[in-house]
Amino acid sequence: MSDATRATTPFGLIVPERMGQGLLAIAEQVGGIGVLAGRLVARLVPPRIDRYELIRNCHKMGVRSVGIVSATALFTGAIMVVQAAPLVVRFSATEIIGWGAGFAILREVAPLLIALMFSGRVGANNTAELGTMVVTEQLDALRALAIDPLSYLILPRVIAMILMLFVLNIFGDLVAIIGAIISAKALLDVDAHMFMNSFLNMIDHWDFLQSLVKSVAFGTMIALTSCYFGLNVKGGAPGVGRAVNSAVVAAAIGIFVMDYFSTFVLK
Amino acid sequence: MTIQLEFERPDRERALDKLRAPLLALWRDLAGLYGLLRQTLRCCLAKRPDRQAFFEQAYAVGNGSVLFVSVTMTVVGMITVMQSGVQTQRVLPELSLLGANIIQILAREFAPTVCALMLATRVGAGIAAEIGSMVVTDQVDALRMSAADPVDYLVVPRFLACVVMTTALTYWSLFISLVAGTVAANLIFDLNVNTFVNFSLVGAGDFVVMTLKGLMYGAAIPIVSAQRGLTTFGGSEGVGWATTNAVVHSSLAIIMLDLVLSIVGYIVFPPV
Amino acid sequence: MPIHFRNLQKRFGEKHVLRGVDIEVQNGECFFVIGASGVGKSVLIKHLVGLLRPDAGDIFLDGEEVSRLSETALYPVRKKCAMVFQNSTLFDSMSCVENVALPLRMHKGLTLEAALIEAEQRLEQVHMSEFARAFPPELGDGMRKRVAIARALTLDPQYVLFDEPTTSLDPISARRVDKLIYELSRSYGVTSIVVSHDLTSIFTIADRIAMLYQGHVRMVGTPDDFRRTPDPIIQQFITGQAEGPMEV
Repeated sequence: MSDATRATTPFGLIVPERMGQGLLAIAEQVGGIGVLAGRLVARLVPPRIDRYELIRNCHKMGVRSVGIVSATALFTGAIMVVQAAPLVVRFSATEIIGWGAGFAILREVAPLLIALMFSGRVGANNTAELGTMVVTEQLDALRALAIDPLSYLILPRVIAMILMLFVLNIFGDLVAIIGAIISAKALLDVDAHMFMNSFLNMIDHWDFLQSLVKSVAFGTMIALTSCYFGLNVKGGAPGVGRAVNSAVVAAAIGIFVMDYFSTFVLK
Repeated sequence: MTIQLEFERPDRERALDKLRAPLLALWRDLAGLYGLLRQTLRCCLAKRPDRQAFFEQAYAVGNGSVLFVSVTMTVVGMITVMQSGVQTQRVLPELSLLGANIIQILAREFAPTVCALMLATRVGAGIAAEIGSMVVTDQVDALRMSAADPVDYLVVPRFLACVVMTTALTYWSLFISLVAGTVAANLIFDLNVNTFVNFSLVGAGDFVVMTLKGLMYGAAIPIVSAQRGLTTFGGSEGVGWATTNAVVHSSLAIIMLDLVLSIVGYIVFPPV
Repeated sequence: MPIHFRNLQKRFGEKHVLRGVDIEVQNGECFFVIGASGVGKSVLIKHLVGLLRPDAGDIFLDGEEVSRLSETALYPVRKKCAMVFQNSTLFDSMSCVENVALPLRMHKGLTLEAALIEAEQRLEQVHMSEFARAFPPELGDGMRKRVAIARALTLDPQYVLFDEPTTSLDPISARRVDKLIYELSRSYGVTSIVVSHDLTSIFTIADRIAMLYQGHVRMVGTPDDFRRTPDPIIQQFITGQAEGPMEV
C-alpha cells in the first residue's frame, strides 16, 4: 500500500484497518511457524542430527536454566500452598493440603511457570543467537558450504529445547513439592509426613503425566517460535532486539493456547 | 611464625571463595536495585513529573499490552475453571461453591501475577532494550553532560506509567478471566451464570491484596528492567543480554513478591 | 567457457541493481569484478552459488544452468564453487580449527578427530596453525580472512569466489591475501572471481577485469587495457579521483 493510500483512510476505518493488519501479521507468523515445523519434521526421517551440536545445545540450555527453574519452582510450590490454604481451612481439612496444592502444581502451575521462565532464559537467547548469525551472514556461509542450516543448526536446537524443558519440568516438579512442604509446615503446621500422605494417596499418575505432556507441548512451542523469529530477522542489530521481543511474546501466547488445548484434551 | 604461601592455602578456603563470588555479585546487584528504587522515588517526590512523557509511556505499556493480556487472561480464566472443577469433583458432590472460590483465587493470585508476568515479558524487555541501546551508543553519557539526570529523564516516567498501568491491567485481567471463566463453567460444567458469579466469599481484603500486588509488581518491572538497561556493556550483544536478563529477573522478582504478599495477605486478611 | 553470466538482471524493491550483465570467465583465470560501492558486485557473485536468484537472465557453470536449481540440487555446485565472504563470516561459536573441520566432517565423512587433524594441516598452509584453538572474535581481520580462505578450500574446489578479500585489512595482510589468491590460480589451476575495489590488488594479480557501472558491464579487459582506455569514468575509478564524471 503506498503512502498516498494510507493517508486517506477514513477516520472510522482506522481501527478495523489496524486490526486487519494485525491479523494478517499473525496469520503470516503462524503460517511461517507451521512451515518451519513441517520442514524440520521432514528432516527427521531419516534422522540426520549432528551429535556434537545436540550435546552442546543440551548442555548450554539445561545448565543455564537450572538455577532459574529451581528458584521459580521453590517459590511456586510455596505460593500454591498459601492459595490452597483458605479452601482446606474452610472445609477443616488441613490434612489434604498435600493434595490440594499438589494437584494445581503438577497439572498447571509448575509446567506453566517453568515454561515461561525457560522461554525468557533460553528461548530469547536462542533467538538472539540465530538472529545475529543471520545478520552476520553466517547462515549464508553455511549454505555456501552446502550444509543445510535447518538440519545442522536448527534441528539440534529444537530437540535440545524440548528435551531440556521436559527434564527441567520433572526436576521443577520435585523442587516445587519441596517448597510446598516447607510452606505447609510454616503456615498450617502440617508436617511433611501428612503432606506426602494426602499427596501420594490422592494424586494419580494421570496428573503427573499431564505435567509431562504439557512440558513437551510447551517446549515445542518455545522452540519453534524462538527459531522462527531468529531466522526471520530483518534490519540489522536493532532487528535482532525486535525479534527477541516478538519471540518471547509469541511464545507466551503460544504456551497459553497450548495449555488450553492440552488441558481440554487431557481432562 | 610460618607465612602461608598462596598455593598452600587449604582447599576449604578456596571453596569458600568460589561460593562467595556469586553471592557477592548478587548482593551488589540487590544493592544497585535498591539504590535505583530510592533514587526514582526521590525524583518522583521532589518535583512534578513530566506529564507528556508519562502519558507516552503509559500508552505504550497499556494500549500496547491490552490485547496480549486479554488473550492470556481469557485462557487463564477458562483453565482455572476447568482444573478447579475437576479437582473439586473428586471430593465434593456438587460445584455450587466453585464460582465463589475461583473468584477469590483469581483476585488474589492469578489475575495480578499472570498479568504482571506477561507485562514483564513485553514491557520489561522493551525498557531494557531502549535504555540499553542508549547506554551503548553513549546517549546516556550525553544526557549527563547536558546536566540532565538519566534516572529522572529515563526511569521516572516509565516507573510511574508501569505502576499505574499494571494496576489498571490487573483489574482488567480479573474482569476478563471472570467472564471467560463464567462461560467455561457454563459450557463445561453446566453451571448457571448466577450460581457461578458468587461474590459471597470475596471481601475487601481480597481487593486490597490484588491492588497491592498490582502496585508492587508494577514497581518491580521497570526498576529491574531499567537497572539491567543502565548496566549494559558490550555493544549490541550486551543489549541482547540485558533484555533477556530483564525479562527473567523481573519475572523472578514478581514470583518472590508474590510469595511475600500472599503470605502477608493470608495473615492480615484471613480468608472468610 | 566454465562461467558465463548472460543478461543477468536483479532488483531489490525499487532499486534496479543489475540491468543486464554479461560476463565470461575462462578456466584458471584470476578474474576481477570492480566498481564503486553499492554497484552490485557482491550481488553478482552471490548468484553463482544460488544465495540470490535473478529476476531474469541465465548463469552457466561448467555448461550447467544454475540459477533455477533447487536448494538440494545446488549442493554439488557449492562443493565445487566455494565462497569467501566479505566479513570472513566464521562461525563464532567454534574455534578456528573446528570451523575448518566442519565441511570435512559434513562432506568427506571424516570423524571429528580425523577432521581436526586435516583441518590443522590446512591452517598450516595459510600460516594460522598456532591460532587453531582460538575463537574468531579473538582474532584480527586479516587472520580471520586467512582462516576463512582455509575453510573455503577444504573441499578442493575448482572455483573460488572472493567478496572484497582485502577490504578492511592492513597493507601487509592485504598483500598476503593477494599472494594466496595468485598461488591458487597459478599453482592449483583454480578459477577465481574476485570482487574488489582495492586498486593495488587489481593491478597486481588480475588476469582480466570487468567493471560494473550503473547496472551494466562498462568494460572487460586486461589490466593494461584498463590503464590505456580513454573512457573518463574508468580512468576516474582506477586513478582514484574524488571529482569526475562518475555518478555514485
